[in-house]
Amino acid sequence: MSSVAPRSRWRFVISPRWLAWHAFTILAVVGMLWLGDWQLRRAEAGNALSWAYTFEWPVFAVFGIVFWAKTIRDEAKPRQAAGGEATAPGGESGLSGLPATAGQRAATGGDEDEHDPELDAYNAYLSRLHKQVRGHGRAHGLR
Amino acid sequence: MRPDTLRLVVRAYRVMAFTTGVLVIVLCFVGIPLQAFAHNLFIATYVGTLHGFLYIVYVIVAFVMTRAVRVPLASWRTVIVLLAGTIPVLTFVVERWVSRTYINPALAAAGVAPREHPVLR
Repeated sequence: MSSVAPRSRWRFVISPRWLAWHAFTILAVVGMLWLGDWQLRRAEAGNALSWAYTFEWPVFAVFGIVFWAKTIRDEAKPRQAAGGEATAPGGESGLSGLPATAGQRAATGGDEDEHDPELDAYNAYLSRLHKQVRGHGRAHGLR
Repeated sequence: MRPDTLRLVVRAYRVMAFTTGVLVIVLCFVGIPLQAFAHNLFIATYVGTLHGFLYIVYVIVAFVMTRAVRVPLASWRTVIVLLAGTIPVLTFVVERWVSRTYINPALAAAGVAPREHPVLR
């Protein structure tokens, strides 16, 4: 593993993908505030139903900002913290006994006891495949 | 997230998806035609307001659920899940898709057998 200069973990917020998300968030929030203003004008013109929506749109605008901030925080979190849930060791299906590949072991620093997010993802992928093919071929007498 | 919490979040999401899904169908296929053709505002007013407030709950629960089952961060998938509660029928389609792709693998990875049945199958 080559030693890369430690870049700020917040660097991603100026990546093209994230700039697009910032733009989307701003557009959505401005749009929702505008809709709230429109409903307020309708409510003042005598549409009683619009009063509920007048208060709802700003709430959704706030949600937009909160979800945007929370997603950025989650994205900035180091990867190890994301998969560190403690589940009963080996108490699950037989899949959890799969050995990590050499690459995975090197990537996680060789800590075997740590719950490996990559291995978890792989196990989740396997069980998803299993679910998808379960029952396939039954009509042909294969299962 | 603890397996119990995960199961609770998933159950809350399914309940809210079903509730908002039914309300939005009633609103769009009964309430709005009645309003447009019979000038009967009753369903549009009450079901509309109820859906509006329950949708706030749906959005919160659905967002927490996408985090809990690791729907990719900052993805259109998350946006689709959140918006599904406003579009007739889409709620049910999305609930099935999310269950198959994210919820069931997440439950399996947490050592929880997906023993409860999804709301619709």
